[in-house]
Amino acid sequence: MKRKSEWKRTAVQAASLLLHNANLKGFVTGKIYQGDLKQVCVPGLNCYSCPGAIGACPVGSLQNALQKSKPSFPFYVLGFLLLFGALLGRFVCGFLCPFGFVQDLLYKIPFFKKIRTFPGEKYLRWLKYVVALLLVVALPLIYTGVPYFCKYLCPAGTLFGAIPLLSLDQLLSDQIGPLFWWKLIVLIVVVLVSLLISRPFCRYLCPLGGFYGLFNRVSLVQLKHTETKCVHCDRCVPVCAMGIDPKTQFDSTECIRCGKCARVCPTDALRLGLLDLKKKKEEQTA
Amino acid sequence: MKRAGRIAALGGLLALGAAFLSVGIGKGQMTEVLSKAIRICLECIGIG
Repeated sequence: MKRKSEWKRTAVQAASLLLHNANLKGFVTGKIYQGDLKQVCVPGLNCYSCPGAIGACPVGSLQNALQKSKPSFPFYVLGFLLLFGALLGRFVCGFLCPFGFVQDLLYKIPFFKKIRTFPGEKYLRWLKYVVALLLVVALPLIYTGVPYFCKYLCPAGTLFGAIPLLSLDQLLSDQIGPLFWWKLIVLIVVVLVSLLISRPFCRYLCPLGGFYGLFNRVSLVQLKHTETKCVHCDRCVPVCAMGIDPKTQFDSTECIRCGKCARVCPTDALRLGLLDLKKKKEEQTA
Repeated sequence: MKRAGRIAALGGLLALGAAFLSVGIGKGQMTEVLSKAIRICLECIGIG
């Protein structure tokens, strides 16, 4: 039963990857989708230059709105981000994000000894907010014309956009230079670290995950902890994909709502659910 | 945060999100997103 539940999440992640990249013929022709759906922002980190992408990357779209010589307040993109964040919080990361799914698959590879956290973990987690403020907002506003996050950091762009496009388009691949090699190194580092530790990009660098995390306490989708049911067996701690203690940090900005903790909880003290709109007398969440 | 506070915050954020989306559409920002998204982003693929 519990095994089956994990497969359900994997199935949802695979379906989401396919939905984000439903233009499958793009992977044959090397052309990106140019239909009207591209004006809709997708919830996860998925490069709009992926040949399969049928929607717009919210982080790329946000930088695009800010990097113009006369930037306008990005109502449209922020509207999507607020709605996704308020409804789902970091459930997007746990179930819907294509790049999160890639990291989950990499972590399943059993070649390396797995580690739960890095030294200085607490401080490393703040990096994603630095990335968001600096590379996504400040630098594109100050030095217009450059989407800094996409250009210098985003490994999803390299994996989903650059590799398939450059392998299919000779004209584009002829232009490969130092910037491409830099981005490839970033991707390789993220891939290698993903073999050691679960979700490193989500933990330390993803501006989208950082933003959605701010909504975790109020989002419609919640991880719930019932203190009266908890036997403090700590089975939830080692399975947490984000290296937190789910029974005390179920509201944390770091929780990606993957539900692994709920699946190993012997008393159902932890469970994924919706924000209680009606008060229940028998349950008092801590 | 108490349950009522969470519900109020959720409602407020959903309303704000819907309002932002509407204003953005009214300002034609969806066209800006589209025009960026239908062209290959050279920076994203590391050659821009």
